[in-house]
Amino acid sequence: MEDKAKVPTATQSGTTRRAFLKGAVAATGGAVALASVASTSPKAAKAQDAGPKSRYLFAERQNCTGCRACEYACSTYHEGTVRPAASRVHVLRHKGIVDVPVICWHCDDAPCIEACPVTPKAIKKDKETNGIILDEKTCLGSRCLQCVDACPAQYLRTHPDTCKPLFCDLCGGDPQCVKACLAQSGNPQGPCLLGSMTGFGVNQAFRDVTPEEAGEDLIKRFYYPNTEGGRR
Amino acid sequence: MATPKGGYFGKVLEINLSKQSTKVRELTDEVARKYLGGSGLGAYYLATEYGAGKDPLAEDAFILIAPGPLNGTYCVSTRTSFINKSPYTGLLSHAEVGAHLGNEIKWAGWDGIYITGRSVKPVWLYIQDEEVQFLDAAKVWGKDTYETEEDFKKEVDNPYARTAVIGPAAENGVPYSAVIVERFRAAARTGTGMVMGNKKLKGIAVSGTKAVPVVDNAKFLPAAMEVKDYALQREAWAGIKRWGTGGLLELKHWATGSLITKNFQTTWWPEIYNLGGEEANRNFWQRHVACNHCPVHCMKYGVVRDGKYKGLIAEGPEYETGGLLGSNLGMTDFGSMMALIEAADAYGFDAISLGGSLAFATECIEKGVLAASDLDGINLKWGDGDTYLEMIKKIAYQEGKAGKLLGKGVDAMAKEIGKGSEAWAVTTKGKEIAAHDPRGDKGRGYSYAMGTCGGDHHEGSSPGGLVLLSLFNSLVMCSFVGLTHTKEIPDSHVAMLNPLCGWDMTGDELMAVPKRTLTLERCFQVREGISAKDDVLAKRFTSEKLPEGPKQGAIWTDEDQKKMHESVYGLLGWDSKGVPTEKTLEGYGLDFMIDDIKEARKQYKL
Repeated sequence: MEDKAKVPTATQSGTTRRAFLKGAVAATGGAVALASVASTSPKAAKAQDAGPKSRYLFAERQNCTGCRACEYACSTYHEGTVRPAASRVHVLRHKGIVDVPVICWHCDDAPCIEACPVTPKAIKKDKETNGIILDEKTCLGSRCLQCVDACPAQYLRTHPDTCKPLFCDLCGGDPQCVKACLAQSGNPQGPCLLGSMTGFGVNQAFRDVTPEEAGEDLIKRFYYPNTEGGRR
Repeated sequence: MATPKGGYFGKVLEINLSKQSTKVRELTDEVARKYLGGSGLGAYYLATEYGAGKDPLAEDAFILIAPGPLNGTYCVSTRTSFINKSPYTGLLSHAEVGAHLGNEIKWAGWDGIYITGRSVKPVWLYIQDEEVQFLDAAKVWGKDTYETEEDFKKEVDNPYARTAVIGPAAENGVPYSAVIVERFRAAARTGTGMVMGNKKLKGIAVSGTKAVPVVDNAKFLPAAMEVKDYALQREAWAGIKRWGTGGLLELKHWATGSLITKNFQTTWWPEIYNLGGEEANRNFWQRHVACNHCPVHCMKYGVVRDGKYKGLIAEGPEYETGGLLGSNLGMTDFGSMMALIEAADAYGFDAISLGGSLAFATECIEKGVLAASDLDGINLKWGDGDTYLEMIKKIAYQEGKAGKLLGKGVDAMAKEIGKGSEAWAVTTKGKEIAAHDPRGDKGRGYSYAMGTCGGDHHEGSSPGGLVLLSLFNSLVMCSFVGLTHTKEIPDSHVAMLNPLCGWDMTGDELMAVPKRTLTLERCFQVREGISAKDDVLAKRFTSEKLPEGPKQGAIWTDEDQKKMHESVYGLLGWDSKGVPTEKTLEGYGLDFMIDDIKEARKQYKL
């Protein structure tokens, strides 16, 4: 909770949770609508053909099975080998019963970029894909890390070797984690991670929760009447 | 003695709890190639470091927590292996468990964690890459596994750490206590929990930041991806994906005729309609959960929504837990059954031995050879979940006569009670068997009787199956995924291992590994006095016909027994007494066991 107090955009946790749940319902509907548009509209098909398409990531948290295929795919793409410590997406198992995908939402207001103190900014957004790109030359790394503190979703981690923050660059417009999640999800729930042209990421109610808070919300959603997730 | 080039770090972390010191054990490429890892490596350490009759609870007894070469790489569905000499059966035992622990051990830069010594005060270990911390566990000693895990993560302020902990059952020295990994996964059947409790080791937490070295990534990745694609597209496991192993409860009842019921008296329990996957799907399950990188997600978590146990969160029912703590206890109420399953996880029990012991005691009361007065007034009755729950607590805390008696396990209880109760003591090699009745499902007889540890359900249902599953236990890979792709892309393991480790292994060389491991494990057991006479099933299966159900009248015959011995001994090169011959040992490069076997042959007249 102390960490959260530092985050300027975060609201009181009670309202956040309510807002989060509301946001979740709205977003679920949105995802379904989007999927149907993508498969039917010729315009959407054209956009797919046009190469880089992803502008936001979205995590349908309640669909996560905790298999971490996203971490495997991400670190394989960026590091060449499986190394979840250097992955740009994480899965938190909360209280042993829910799995929370922790992702970059590619916020339009981008508090991480705002917090970056160097000139010119070491963190930029790719104009085409909306991926966050780090200039490793100018980034001050472990001497600074203001971006890590600024992230309202407490998403940012540092690379175990370079100690520089790990940003989600959306793999140049074709996020590997989304593909891995889609492939892995032979379950009746469907995939958890989605990439889309529209800005789910600006849904601040969904974004401004810490992974633990998101976990608590999932516990309420799944394990009612046991809303604490503990032993009876 | 070369260090491994890839797949392994060439280092096993040795932790001495007596001195609170650590050292690095080298793992050479030769040993890695001969035993792979997991249960194979454990068998190698046990056979070479222990002499016959070693006390499994000695101060210098060890537990090996070992991942395999594929853990931490792109390969799907890898697990963790716990190997030790079981204080319950006195035999070499290995337990494989899912979840994410094994991969985290690899990412911390270790090929295994070898724990020896004994702490004076309760202690727990936090392993962060090379750094090992010995932390005080006095505060969590006595707490259940869920609270312990949560406390650990809070204390080290790392919610991403992976844990393995013991519960009150292990602390109080119940020989069939388990190690619980990440709240609901159990490394059981081996008495590992009791050994950890004896060492005053409450648990370990691991967190790693490294990557497993790969010799030729360009070749390894496509091979691993092919296996993954195969596992994804494969329809064979669609049922497991959808229903978990809990869905087998109905299947084994209505079709196979091997669902154990009321201490193996029958396989017919139509109440399974209210206990199995169907009921769980209607009223319990909430989400599918996967182990690392696994497309099968066979775990199902849920919550009891109504009734006495409203709000109880548990995993399952799995086939084994639902069989042993459901139909085997004559349960009819789903919520009560889930409460027993949850209690087994929270107190840190092996649910199979626990269910077996409870069922045995109930039958003793039913048949009048044991009275409620012998059990502190607790009257065990089929289907009485509340009483069973009370009894489980008593066993966990070793309270009163009842807790101490049932905490000994079926074999010891039968000896103590006598009065003909041996006739329904269903054990193999001193251990309760799992939830498949071998009269209805004869393949399981192989697993129970011929498997290394005895009484285990997942050692392979045919001679070839024994070999294959031993291979998976050494690769430490889940057989749910492994079995299908091994059948249809037989070279897949070699295709992954060679570029990963820089080997030039052939398929034959790889398949020699499980045969070598099984033989080495057998050598260890032979040294402890095991031979063909112990590779048998309980008397109940050879003397009582199945009274009803799809396999009515089925019985385990002498012919079945003979066929089983001949086929397995023949395949592995053991003689008719179940002892590996000298030629076999030489063939597998196990010359170092020849003298021990000669000694054992003399001692036990084999």
